[in-house]
Amino acid sequence: MSVSIADPKMMASSSSTRSLLRHTFVLTRRSVIGRLRQPAVLAPAFIFPLFFAALGSASFNRLASDPYFTANIATSFLNYAVAGAVLQGVLFGSTSAAGDLATDIEQGFFERLLASPISRTAIVLGRLAASMVVAVVQVVIFMAIFLVAGARIESGPIGFIGLIGGGALLALAMSAMMAGLAIKSGSPEVVQGAFPLVFVLMFLSSAFFPRHYMKGWYRTVADWNPLSHIVEGMQGFMNHELSASQFAKSWLIPFVLAIIGIAFALRALNNRLAAS
Amino acid sequence: MTEQTVNTRTISDGARPFEVVAILVKRSMMRVRRMPSAFIPSLVMPVFQLIAFSGAFGFAVTSLGIKNALDWYVPLNAMQGASFGALGVSFGLINDMQTGFFDRILMAPTPRWVTVVSSLAAAVVRCVVPITFVVIVGYIGGMNTPGGFMAIVCVAIASIAIAVVAAGFALGLTFRMRNLGAATLTQFAIFFTIFLSTSQVPLSAMSGWLRGVARINPMTNILRFARQGFLGDVTWEQSWGGIIAMAVLLILTFIFAMTGIKKFDQ
Repeated sequence: MSVSIADPKMMASSSSTRSLLRHTFVLTRRSVIGRLRQPAVLAPAFIFPLFFAALGSASFNRLASDPYFTANIATSFLNYAVAGAVLQGVLFGSTSAAGDLATDIEQGFFERLLASPISRTAIVLGRLAASMVVAVVQVVIFMAIFLVAGARIESGPIGFIGLIGGGALLALAMSAMMAGLAIKSGSPEVVQGAFPLVFVLMFLSSAFFPRHYMKGWYRTVADWNPLSHIVEGMQGFMNHELSASQFAKSWLIPFVLAIIGIAFALRALNNRLAAS
Repeated sequence: MTEQTVNTRTISDGARPFEVVAILVKRSMMRVRRMPSAFIPSLVMPVFQLIAFSGAFGFAVTSLGIKNALDWYVPLNAMQGASFGALGVSFGLINDMQTGFFDRILMAPTPRWVTVVSSLAAAVVRCVVPITFVVIVGYIGGMNTPGGFMAIVCVAIASIAIAVVAAGFALGLTFRMRNLGAATLTQFAIFFTIFLSTSQVPLSAMSGWLRGVARINPMTNILRFARQGFLGDVTWEQSWGGIIAMAVLLILTFIFAMTGIKKFDQ
C-alpha cells in the first residue's frame, strides 16, 4: 500500500483524472481487503438479513393465501423478503465500512494519507467504491442462497442486474452519508451510534412487511420513508415483470441520495482539511 | 484511620452474605446512574421494537383473531428489554476485571456464590425499569388484559426469569472468556432463542422449519406463560410448561455461572 502511494509516476500526475482513478482504485482495493480481513465485522451483514428473511418467510407465509398479496405483491413471502434482506445487508455493510473510515481517522492513518501526494477526493471515493464492491458481492451471494431456497426472479436476468445495481447504488448512498459523519466526527462510536437511526428507518418501511397491511401513523411514516420505495423497486424485480418504475425506485432514489451523501462527505473532508 | 473504618463485626464474624449482595447490587445501580448512556438503549430499544413489530406485523397477528397486536408483542418486548437490561451486569463485570476490582472482590471473605447471586440480583433490579416502561407504553397504546392483574404478574415473572437466565449465561461466559465477546455472544444467544420461538406469530401460523424449532424451544412455553393474561384468562394449562422451562433454565444458567467463577479462580 505504502509502495503504491510512493510510486513516482503517481506523484508526478497527482492532479490528473487518471491519477484520481488510480488512487481511488488503490484505496478501494485496500478497503475491500481490509473488510475481508475482518470477517467478524462483515458477518452480521450476512447473518442477520438471511436470518430475518428465513424467519419472515416461515412466520408470515400464510399471507400468501391472501388474494391481494398474491395478485399485487409477491407469489410467496420468501420472494417478498428477498429485497428486504438485500436492503438490510447493504445498510449493515455500509455502516460498518464508514466505521472503518472513522477508525482510520482515530488511529492516524487518515492523517498519513493526507500527508501523502494522493488525491483528497480519492480518499473518500476509495471507501465508497469499496462499499459498492462489497454490496455487489453481498447481493450475488444473497441471491444465490435465495434462489437455492426457492425464490424466483420474475423479471429475469435484467431484474437480477437491476437488484445488483440497486444494492450497489444504495451502498454508495448510505456509505457516503456515513462517511461524511465519520469524517466530521472522526469517531467510530458516533458512526455506530447513528446505526440505530438506520435500523429505525428500516423498520418504519416496507422492508419486512407490505405497506398495504399497515395502519394509522405507521403507514403514513412508511409511505413517506424513501427506503419503502427503494425496497419496493427491488421487490418489483423479484415479483413482477420488468418495468421502468422498478429502476426509477431502486436506482434513481439511491442515486439522488448518493449525490447528496457524496457532497456531504466531501464538504466534511474540506472542513477537516481546513481545520488541520 | 484504618482502625476507624474497618468494621470489627465483619472481621470477627465474616461478612453476612446478603449484606454483601445488597452492597454489590447498590454498586451496580450506581453504575447505571453514572453511565446512563449504557443503560438507555436497553430502555429505548424494546419500546421501539414494540411499536415497530405491532405497526409492521400487526396484520399478521390480528388476522389470527388477536384483538390488538400489542397484546401479542408487549410480553415479548418486556422480556427482551429485561434480558438486554440484564446484560449490563456482564459489561460491569468485564470493567471490574479490567480495573482489578473483581480481584479484590474475590479476595474478600465471602463465598463465591455471593458474587454470582449479587450479579443476578443486580440483573433483577436493572430489568424492572424496562419491563415497567414497555407495559406502560402498552397500556397507552390500548393493550387488553383480560387476565386482569395476573396478566401483569405473569409478564413480570417471565421477564425477571429471562433477565436472570440472560445474566447467568452472560456471567458464565464472562468468567470463561474475560472479554466483551461474552456480552456479544450472550446478545446473539438471547436474540436467536427469542426469535426462534413464537415471538412473531403463534405456532399455528408458522410453516416449515421454524414450526419444528419453535415447538422444542423452551422460550415458546415461557412466552405462552407471559402472554396468557393478555389473550385470555390465566390458567394452569397455559402456565405449567412455562414454569418448568423457567426453572430448568434458571438452574442450568446458575450452574454455568458457578462453574465459570470456579474456572476463573483456577
